[in-house]
Formats: sequence, structure tokens, C-alpha cells
Amino acid sequence: MMGAVLAKRGRSSHILRNGGFVALPLISLIWSLADPTLGRELLEWVPYLASGFMMNILIALSAMTLGTLVGVLFGILALAPFKLVRYPVAVYVQIFRNAPHLVLIFATTYIFPFEIMIFGTYLPFPDWVKAVIGLAIPASAYVAEITRGAILSIPTTQWEAAKGLGFSRNEALRWIILPQCLRRSLPPWMNVLASITMGTALASLVGVHELLHAATDASTAVRRLDFTVIAYLVVMTAFFTLCYPISHLTRRLEGRFNAV
Amino acid sequence: MPDFDVIDLFVSLTSRIGLNYEFLATGYEAQIWRDGFATTLYLILLLIPVSLVFGLFFAACLTSGRLWLSTPVRAFVELTRNTPTLVQLMFSFLVLNTFVSSLVGGTQNNPLSAFFWVVAVVGLHIAALHAEALRAGIEAVPAATVEAARAIGFSQLQVLRYVEVPLALRASLPAIVNNLINLVKLTTVGNAIAVSEITYASIMVWTQRDNVVSLMIVILLFFSLVNLIVARAGLWVERKLAVPGYGL
Repeated sequence: MMGAVLAKRGRSSHILRNGGFVALPLISLIWSLADPTLGRELLEWVPYLASGFMMNILIALSAMTLGTLVGVLFGILALAPFKLVRYPVAVYVQIFRNAPHLVLIFATTYIFPFEIMIFGTYLPFPDWVKAVIGLAIPASAYVAEITRGAILSIPTTQWEAAKGLGFSRNEALRWIILPQCLRRSLPPWMNVLASITMGTALASLVGVHELLHAATDASTAVRRLDFTVIAYLVVMTAFFTLCYPISHLTRRLEGRFNAV
Repeated sequence: MPDFDVIDLFVSLTSRIGLNYEFLATGYEAQIWRDGFATTLYLILLLIPVSLVFGLFFAACLTSGRLWLSTPVRAFVELTRNTPTLVQLMFSFLVLNTFVSSLVGGTQNNPLSAFFWVVAVVGLHIAALHAEALRAGIEAVPAATVEAARAIGFSQLQVLRYVEVPLALRASLPAIVNNLINLVKLTTVGNAIAVSEITYASIMVWTQRDNVVSLMIVILLFFSLVNLIVARAGLWVERKLAVPGYGL
């Protein structure tokens, strides 16, 4: 009896989950079919919105790549046996983990010059690259914390066993400890990925042509209230479609790793 | 006025290491900046109780076992967790606010300010995160405990009020503190709709003075300090509420 109730609840939540996933695109689609003038207007703007969304994905991927590389390095350095290395890294992590993403995007946008000189030639330093750096900074601080936590979660006996087998500290880290950390730190890393992906919308406030900026452009150009509604609905749908699978997968991985 | 001497001393000392805080000695810009800090702190102090109350309400709906209560809340939680807060804010401010305006007959009659929308959007966003944390805590309460409470005649609401929530609150406190730190950071999105919190006030100052680095240092330290206080307060509450012999 209990099992049947649970199974029923599981099934209904499953339907709800998948239903929710298609509900948002469905609303936009049905609405634009019901009102053909609106649908045509939206269709005209879709390529513009899509080019904005590509920018979101580009910024998110670049920021995560940069943030992960720096973050893993800092996470290892945070456990270095030298205070001179450990303390500056701890301060970096503490300050940038607690800083709002928007503040860091403002900082990189307004502090960095609009062009940089390399080997005597001026190269433009576009705003979206500054946004990438602005988001990579908090990402690196989160990843550093995750890496540090993962390394600390490995039992000390593993280090001792590696030492007993003749591994140096660095070799043990490289071949024994870090491979085990990879699995443990995947779910929290994916949380950071989702958070940074959603943070890319903030770049619109410093004038980067991304999805939210594109939607604002479109709605000021068309000047129809129903178009404004549907344009922002499309923005929500796009982010939801991108982030929901990530968070869903994260929860499943967490469940699986906790069960093991 | 001894107060001004301190500011003058600070300005001259910092200018020696290349930082520019000259605006602090002027009346107008210093006032804007001080008000920016005050607005951010006010937002934080207002949002913490708002998010907790709604988080508790959402968690109660999610665990009620009634589909007509849990389904809409679950849908809202999933939507708000997986879309950027800035997009939600823009949607609320540009779409819902316009609806409200046309409902009451014109923008001049609309009682809802930009400040209200920041509180509503950020508050409900964090409430959704609280609800997820509390739900996990409520579901972790042992079934035997709930059955024992039922056996001595507690109604479902009483079980929630006296048994499940007190235990769940303790279990999910670390996650809630984490959400509150996110809340502090999220108050900056008010910038997008011209709520004069600290980043908005700072833009007003640095467009005049061109002293981004100087202001940035103070803002970063300010948020570090606020979040440190939130985290410490969370630890204090955690220790205060700890049940002897329960948990770690």
C-alpha cells in the first residue's frame, strides 16, 4: 500500500517535472500561433535573440574553463605547506567568494582598458572578455573551495600509503589524490556551472550583447506590450532549458554518490 | 568639527598610495554613497525575514502531501532556481508592474516601487532555495518521531509546527546560511532597475570622479564583512539551537 502510494507520487512528480520542462516553450509557441501578428514579429527577432544567447553560452563556457583552471590551482595551493602561499590564496578565496558577481563584472569592465598594447600593436579588449574575467574570478574562488574540500575529504591513510609506495607529495597528489577528487567534486562543480551560466545575464548591465540585452533591444524596437511579455518569456525559457538539465543531473549525481 | 578632520586625514593618507577618496570631503557625493550603503543594509535586513517566512511557507506546501498545494509551489521553485534573478526582476518590473499599472489606471496610481520589486523577486528567489533546504530537513525527520506525535493526538499542522520544523530547521541551518550569503550578494541586482543601492550609488560617484579602483576596494571589503557577519551569526544560532546528543 505504502509502496503503491510512493510509486504513484514518483510517477506524478515525474510527469510534473517533464511537463514543467516543456510548459514554458509551449506557452510561447501557442501564444504566437494564436496571435499571428505577434508570432511573425517574434519570428523576425528570433535570430537576433539567438545570437545573444550564443554570447551567454560563450561567456559561461569561457568563464568556467578559466575559473576551473585557476580554481584547481588555488585549491591545491591553499593546502601548500608554506604560509606565504596559503594565506594570500585564503584571502583571495574569502574576498571573491563573498563578492556579488555584478560587482566583479563592474570592476573588470571599468578598471580594464578598452584596448591593450601587445608587441606595439593595439588589440581591442572587448566588453564580453571583461565579463568572462569578471565571472571567472568568483568561479575560481568557488572551485578553489571545492578542490580544497575534496582533497581534505580523502583519508590521510591514502597519503601515507602513497608515501609508503615511494610516491613524493606531488606524485601522490597527481596520481592518487586528485583522480579521487574528480568524482566527489563533480556535483558542486556543476552547481557553480549553473550559477555562472545564470550570472552571464548580468553582463547585459555593462552593455554586452547577450540574450537579456537583445530582448530589451527588441522590446524597445517593437513597442508592443504583448511582444515585451513574450520576449522576456523566451529569455526565461532559454535560460531554463539550459540550466534545468544541469541542476537535474547534479541532483541525480548527488543522490548516486550519497548512496554509494 | 573633529569628524571632518578624520575624513581629511583618511583622504590625504590614501591619496599617497594612489587611491582617490576626495569625494568623501564633499557633501553631495558622500551623501549619495552613504545612502547607497544604508539602502543595501536596509535591503538585507528586510529580505532576511521575508525570505525565511516565505521559505517556511513554501516548505510546508511542498511537504503537505496535497497535490494542489505542492504542484504550483514545486513549479515556482523549479522556475526560480533555474532562471537568472536579473531576468526575473526585469520580467517582474517591465511586465507585471505594467499590468498592475494598467489595472489601477495609470503609472501615477501604481503603489509598487522599484524597491518593492527587488524585495519581492529576491525574497521569493531565496525563499525557494530555503524551501528546498527545509524540505530535505523535514523529509529527514524519522517517520517514527512523526508517528509518535500523531499517536499523542497532534494534527498535521501541529506535527509540522512542533516536531518537523524545529528539527528540520536545525538540520538545514548550514544550507540556509549559505542561501542568506547569496541573498546579500543578490541585493546588487536592484542596480538594473535604478534602486540606489551601493553599486548604483558608486556608479554615480565614479562617473564623476573616475576612481573605480578606490570604490571597488571598499565595496569588496563591505560585502566580505557583511557576509562574514552573516556566517558568524549563522554559526552562533547553530550552536545556540544545537540539541544535545542529536547530530554532530
